[in-house]
Amino acid sequence: MSVGQDPVQDAMPSPDAPVARAESARLRAETRLAGTIADFFLDADARLDDRTRLMLARVLGGIVEAIEADIRRHAARLLAGQGLAKVGEAVLRPKGAGVVARLTRAGLLRDEDLMEELIARVRHDLIAASLPVDVADPDEASLVVRLAGVPDRVVASAASALLAAESRRRVSNEQGLASGSELPAELHHRLVWWVAATIRDEQRVTTREGDRAITDAAERSLAAHDEGERADAVAMRLAGAMDARPNELAAVLVESIGDRRLSLFVAVLAHALGIAFDQARAITLEPDGDRLWLALRAIDMDRPTIARIGLALSEADPRRDIEAFADALDEIASIDSTEAQAAVAPLALNRDFRLALRALARTDRR
Amino acid sequence: MTMFDPTTENPIAHAIIAADGTLVFADPALVALNQRAGGMRGAPLAVPQLATIARLARRLGIVVSRGVVVADDEADVDLWVRAQPDGENVRLTVSGWREIAAWRPTRPSPDVQGVLDSDSDWRWETDAALRLTFVTLDAGPKHGFDPFALLGQPLTAMFALDSGSDGGLPILDSLARRRPMTAQPARLRSSGRAVMLTANVRYDVSGDFAGFVGAARVVVEDTPAPAEPSVLSATFTTGLDKALRVPLARIVANADSINAQSDGPVQGDYADYAADIATAGRHLLSLVDDLVDLQAVERPDFTIAPEPIDLADVARRAAGLLTVRAANLGVSIARPATDVRVPAIGDFRRVLQILVNLVGNALRYSPRGSDVSVTVTRDATHAVLTVADQGKGVAPEDQVRIFEKFERVDTSEAGGNGLGLYIARRLARAMQGDLTVESASGEGARFVLTLPTDPARH
Repeated sequence: MSVGQDPVQDAMPSPDAPVARAESARLRAETRLAGTIADFFLDADARLDDRTRLMLARVLGGIVEAIEADIRRHAARLLAGQGLAKVGEAVLRPKGAGVVARLTRAGLLRDEDLMEELIARVRHDLIAASLPVDVADPDEASLVVRLAGVPDRVVASAASALLAAESRRRVSNEQGLASGSELPAELHHRLVWWVAATIRDEQRVTTREGDRAITDAAERSLAAHDEGERADAVAMRLAGAMDARPNELAAVLVESIGDRRLSLFVAVLAHALGIAFDQARAITLEPDGDRLWLALRAIDMDRPTIARIGLALSEADPRRDIEAFADALDEIASIDSTEAQAAVAPLALNRDFRLALRALARTDRR
Repeated sequence: MTMFDPTTENPIAHAIIAADGTLVFADPALVALNQRAGGMRGAPLAVPQLATIARLARRLGIVVSRGVVVADDEADVDLWVRAQPDGENVRLTVSGWREIAAWRPTRPSPDVQGVLDSDSDWRWETDAALRLTFVTLDAGPKHGFDPFALLGQPLTAMFALDSGSDGGLPILDSLARRRPMTAQPARLRSSGRAVMLTANVRYDVSGDFAGFVGAARVVVEDTPAPAEPSVLSATFTTGLDKALRVPLARIVANADSINAQSDGPVQGDYADYAADIATAGRHLLSLVDDLVDLQAVERPDFTIAPEPIDLADVARRAAGLLTVRAANLGVSIARPATDVRVPAIGDFRRVLQILVNLVGNALRYSPRGSDVSVTVTRDATHAVLTVADQGKGVAPEDQVRIFEKFERVDTSEAGGNGLGLYIARRLARAMQGDLTVESASGEGARFVLTLPTDPARH
């Protein structure tokens, strides 16, 4: 991540001590070298491409800044209301290199869960934007628009909500202004307190009233977060409301990808498999696709359906190898669906259980 | 693409590829393309991009459509390829057949993508059925509509469309001809405000209409625009040299080295982009030169220090400077013999600049294998130099226009910025001479530069 400033810069001692200055320059050079070496030995597959990197930095920055602005403004208003205008102004005014830089330096943003969610989201949005449009029937409205007009109120309102949520997401991606964090509740929770701590950390004088106001503002930001408004959650709601029957699944999956509604594709897949959105999204985004083909076989998708989905994803994602997919297609199509179901069963485990298992494995790795 | 009937806008060619990749049948256009790529009927398809798509479609067992760029002789051709498996064979349908033009500066027109981003108040998108799939959300409160309520509604729920200046609806023309919608007047239903709509067409994988990607701009009541000063302000180009030339030169140099892959391998697309960047950079550099000149010649007090010169000598030098370019283009330059001398009065550097411009223009419009001739004569009062080419010439109605600022002999032709002839004529007139053109369309152009002769030598 190129977010933020040089990690050692803010720790620089008073500028009039030449020895200390030289020491901090040496430290800086060492840190830089360590970074360069890590970069050189980085596996090419692990490296973000430039578009993803740029958008990731933008999305992360946008989310943090949105939370920061909320907390600062509300805390300042609370303090002003108590006649502590000076303290309020101090809270309102950003200091130093900024919250993103401070959190980066502290290493907090290297949080695996947070970065996994953000990277997946950025990849998801980039791939969705590059999917080739495939109009199923030129005389009909596109899938989600059609769903927004069906007599079934539950489906129609979920489809309208998806149109709105995706528009909101696109506007914030393009303008780098997040309207809200759109993060899962735990991650939002974590990030809000980090931001609040950073704002407090930068105050030269801390007062009880100041702390109280920052806390209240952070709690207000937590209360205002509605997980259900996120595009992912809305897509899940629509997939649940549609509850596509096995004989409709292939058509819905192919049409949602042809309509470039990747989130609906992921949600329908997740709903059919009985797994969480983030799981279905992860296997959809994996460039080798093995788990996705298994998942599609588990819901008994036929060869042409898998071929169409594989082709569309390959056109949108340069990391995918369409030739290897074409080579493997016969083998994929011949996988027995019961076997495939057994293979993807771990995906359906309780989310917290899954996370706990993963955390355990991660500790072992260290 | 000479093998096509130019009256057909979108020729479609078919071919059948057998399971082993051989070409079983093909329409003439594809046969020709395949032959130029070194293939023949009964042998494997020799155009690699087409062969790849056919193979992919056979292996996946589904229709694969894709846009590809294929090298054909000297040009690149943009094709839309659809491959449909048919038993053991694959049926190819190839449409598009657009030659990709060399990089050229585009005039700002509403159908370019950039305008959608920069000049608009908000953006909207529709699907193929013209229902709104995206609306910029923050425009709603500003312009008084509810973007969420409009999503999924027909485009006409947002806008009431008005007819254009010719009485027709531009949107219908855009739909029928699949080309960008440039100026569709409309009113916002929620407020009745006048807006102007522009949109690009989005295509689906089969190359069919898949919707509009559009922008809306609120029409502002006409206010009289401040009169544009006809002369560039004296400070306009001050420092332009340093401010632009240095960074541009660096851009060109770096882009060239990326293109040459001198620092290591670069992905093919990026190498091509780098070449485009370098070409565009060079174009800008020459524009900087011209703007500096333009500023000089447009100043009311612009003067030139005339001196005795030999016009034949300047002509030989100008021709010499352009020999390499001429050789690359397969055009030869006939220049005055070395013993010819035609004395005249003018500024040596400025006359050379005019001649390089005239000969360079002549080369640009000359067909391969033709001649450009530079001749010098004199009459009683003037030295006369003529640059003649065998190109398509300048139609009489264009002979005034091409000496105007930012006008071109042929606007469809790449290169040049439309300042050269304007500056050249201003320079000639500042030296008490003139620059004129004689030509009929199709007969080649003759540019005639006259300069006063040296009275002392009469």
